[in-house]
Amino acid sequence: MDSEDDMHDANDAESVDDDFYSGETAMDSDDGDAADYEFIDNDSDDSNDLVSHRSQQNYTILNETDIQLRQEDDIMKIASILSISDVAAAILLRHYNWSVSKVNDEWFADEEKVRRVVGLLEEPRPLPNAKELTCGICFEVYPCDSMSSAACGHPFCVTCWQGYISTAINDGPGCLTLRCPDPSCGAAVGKDMIVSLASHDDREKYRRYFLRSFVEDNRKTKWCPAPGCDYAVDFIVGGGTFDVTCRCSYSFCWNCTEEAHRPVDCDTVSKWIMKNSAESENMNWILANSKPCPKCKRPIEKNQGCMHITCTPPCKFEFCWLCLGAWADHGERTGGFYACNRYEAAKQEGVYDDTEKRREMAKNSLERYTHYYERWATNQSSRQKALADLQQMQSIHLEKLSDKQCQPESQLKFITEAWLQIVECRRVLKWTYAYGYYLPEHEHAKRQFFEYLQGEAESGLERLHQCAEKELQGYLNVEGPSKDFNEFRMKLAGLTSVTRNYFENLVRALENGLSDVDAHGGTSRIGGSRSLGAGSSKGRTSRSKGTSARSSGSRNIDDSVHWSCEYCTFANAKSATICQMCQQRR
Amino acid sequence: MTDSSVSSRKVLSKIATNRLQKELTEWQINPPSGFTHKVTDNLQRWVIEVNGAQGTIYDNEKYQLQVDFPENYPMEAPQVIFLHPAPLHPHIYSNGHICLDILYDSWSPAMTVGSICISILSMLSSSTAKERPEDNDRYVKNCRNGRSPKETRWWFHDDKV
Ligand SMILES: [Zn+2]
Ligand SMILES: [Zn+2]
Ligand SMILES: [Zn+2]
Ligand SMILES: [Zn+2]
Ligand SMILES: [Zn+2]
Ligand SMILES: [Zn+2]
Ligand SMILES: [Zn+2]
Repeated sequence: MDSEDDMHDANDAESVDDDFYSGETAMDSDDGDAADYEFIDNDSDDSNDLVSHRSQQNYTILNETDIQLRQEDDIMKIASILSISDVAAAILLRHYNWSVSKVNDEWFADEEKVRRVVGLLEEPRPLPNAKELTCGICFEVYPCDSMSSAACGHPFCVTCWQGYISTAINDGPGCLTLRCPDPSCGAAVGKDMIVSLASHDDREKYRRYFLRSFVEDNRKTKWCPAPGCDYAVDFIVGGGTFDVTCRCSYSFCWNCTEEAHRPVDCDTVSKWIMKNSAESENMNWILANSKPCPKCKRPIEKNQGCMHITCTPPCKFEFCWLCLGAWADHGERTGGFYACNRYEAAKQEGVYDDTEKRREMAKNSLERYTHYYERWATNQSSRQKALADLQQMQSIHLEKLSDKQCQPESQLKFITEAWLQIVECRRVLKWTYAYGYYLPEHEHAKRQFFEYLQGEAESGLERLHQCAEKELQGYLNVEGPSKDFNEFRMKLAGLTSVTRNYFENLVRALENGLSDVDAHGGTSRIGGSRSLGAGSSKGRTSRSKGTSARSSGSRNIDDSVHWSCEYCTFANAKSATICQMCQQRR
Repeated sequence: MTDSSVSSRKVLSKIATNRLQKELTEWQINPPSGFTHKVTDNLQRWVIEVNGAQGTIYDNEKYQLQVDFPENYPMEAPQVIFLHPAPLHPHIYSNGHICLDILYDSWSPAMTVGSICISILSMLSSSTAKERPEDNDRYVKNCRNGRSPKETRWWFHDDKV
C-alpha cells in the first residue's frame, strides 16, 4: 500500500475539487448539505439534516388521499379536453393505463376506434319503447320503469343487474372494465351505474379496485412493498438512483422493488436472492442467533448490533462474531482495525476448519458462498437491531439522556444521526457482500481494491456502532452529568462523519465498477487519487465530506508526515494541530 | 374461484331454478337444431345429445354433453363437458373438457344452454382435422384428481378453428 501519496495529495490540496462533485447523483449532492459538520464548530447548531434526507427527490410519496386527488384530477383533465363525462373519461383512462397523454393521442387519432374498443357509445340509446320488457337474464317480464340498461339500451331488471355487478366485483379488478351482459354488445358499464347498484360492501371493494388500478396499472407509480404500508410512490424515471424511501421509513429500489440495494445493481440482487433461496436449507444454521464461545464452548447469543462479542463471566473471552477469532487479533491480521471481511485471509488462517459443521461443507464453492452469505445476513440482522435501537433511542433514551446529562434534546441530535448512519451503512455493507460474491475471482486487483475499501468502511462502522451502542450506555446509567459528555459528543459525531465518508467512497467505487483500480494501476489508491479534496476546517464551503475517505488512520501512515486522530482516526497533516475531521486537539 | 364441482352439488337458488325452468320450456318448444335433451327430474344436470352437422367431419356422429348448473346460475357459468367418448377435436380434450371462452372468462348471464350448444356445434363444424389438442396428455394427467374445467386457467386456442 502506498497510501502515503494519497494522503499527501489530500492534505496538500486546500481547494475543493469541483469535478469531484460535478455529475454526482442527487443523493450525493444532497448529502453535501448534511455534511458540513458545523455542529462540531458550534455546539448550538444541531440543525443538520438527517442522514437519509434528500432535498432533490425524483419521487413523491402518496397517501390514499393524494392518489385519489391525482386520479380525480386526471379524470377531470380528460373530461374537459375531450368534452366527455367523468365516467367516460375514467373508462378511457383505465383502458390506457391512466396515461393522460396516451388517451389524448389515441382519441384524436381515431375517436371512433377508441370508442369501439372501450365500449363508449356516442349517442346513448334509450330502453325499448314498450310498457313491459323482458329481462335478458332472468327472462321475467317487468314494467319498463323497473328496468335499467347501460348506454346501449339492453334492458335487465334491477335484481339481475345487482347480481351481475356483485359477481363481477367479487371476481376481481375485472369489474373495472365491465360491459353490458348482452353477449353481442360491448357497451361499457360505468362507475356511476356500478356505484348506484352495488351493495355497501361491494361498493367499497369497487372503490378499492378503482384506486388500486390508478397505482398498479400506471407505469409511473408503485405501492411501497413494505408489509402493511399503504403509501404509493410516484417516480420520475431518468437520472439519479432508483432508491426510494417511503414515508413508512422503508427503503426500496423502485426498479425491482427489492429493498434498497445501492450500490449493487438490480441483476446482482436478483441473482443473489435466487441463490439464497436455493441454498437456504444449507444456510439455516447460520441464521441461528447462537454460536458456541470459541474458548469455553458455551452458547453465546448475539444481542447487540456490533460484531465485538464478550463472553459472559467468568470466561469473558472477547471475540469476533463473524470469524470467531479473538478480538485482539482484529487488526493487521484481518486486514484492518476490526475489519473482518476478507475471505481469503480467513481461509488461509484456517478459521474455516474450526467447527464440525464447516468441515462438513466440503465444497469450496459452498464455503465461499457461506462466507459472503453469513456476512450479508449478519449485517442484515445488525441493521434490524440498529433500527430497533434507533426507535428506542428516539422514544425513550434521548429523553432520559437529556435529563441525566442536563442537555436539551435538541443538542442530542448527533446521537440520532449516528444511528441513522449505522442503519444506512449496515444496509450498504450488507449488499457489498453480494457484490463481493459476484466479483470474479480472477480480477485480483479489483478484488483487492474492493476488499480494501470494504474493510475500511467496515472497520469505521464497527467503531461507530460500538461507540453508539456501548459507550453511550455509560452516559445513560449515571447519577448526574458526566464531565466528558462533550468529548463523547465529539467522538460520536466524528465517527459518524468519518464513517459516512468511508461508505460514500465505497458506494462510489462500486458504482463505478471499481474502475479506479485500472486507472491507477493498482490497489494502493484509496478511492483513486482524483483529488478527494482535503477539507479545510472552515466549515460550509469546505465540503469536508469529500476529505477523509482515506486510509484509516490506524495504519499505513507515515508518522513523519501525518498524525492519526485519536478520536476519529483521520490522518491529519503534521502541520495541523487540530484534527481536520473532528476538530479535536492533537 | 369457486369449486364448481362443489357448488354444482349445492341446491339451485330460486333465481336459478326459475331461469332454468324458463330455459327448459323454451327448449321444449324450440330446441336448437342438432341437439336432443331428454328431460329428467334433475334440473341441475342436463345431458344433451349432439349430432354432428351434415357436411362436416362429424356428420352422423353422436356425442353427449353434460351440463351442470351452479347454485347461482346464470351469474356463474355452467360446467359443460363431453361425456366419454369425447369428439376428436383440436379444442376438446380426451377427458371431455372443452376449451371455449364462453364457458369460462367470457361467460355472460345473458347466455343460455341453447346459445352454448350453438357455439359448440359451430366449433365442431369448423374443424378440419380430427385430432386432440397438442397438450392433451399433460392436461388430462393434471386433471386426474377430478378437477373441473372451470378451475383451469385457460389460454384460449385460436378461435378460427
Ligand atoms: Zn332479471
Ligand atoms: Zn348492451
Ligand atoms: Zn412504505
Ligand atoms: Zn433494484
Ligand atoms: Zn466463553
Ligand atoms: Zn472477525
Ligand atoms: Zn479526529
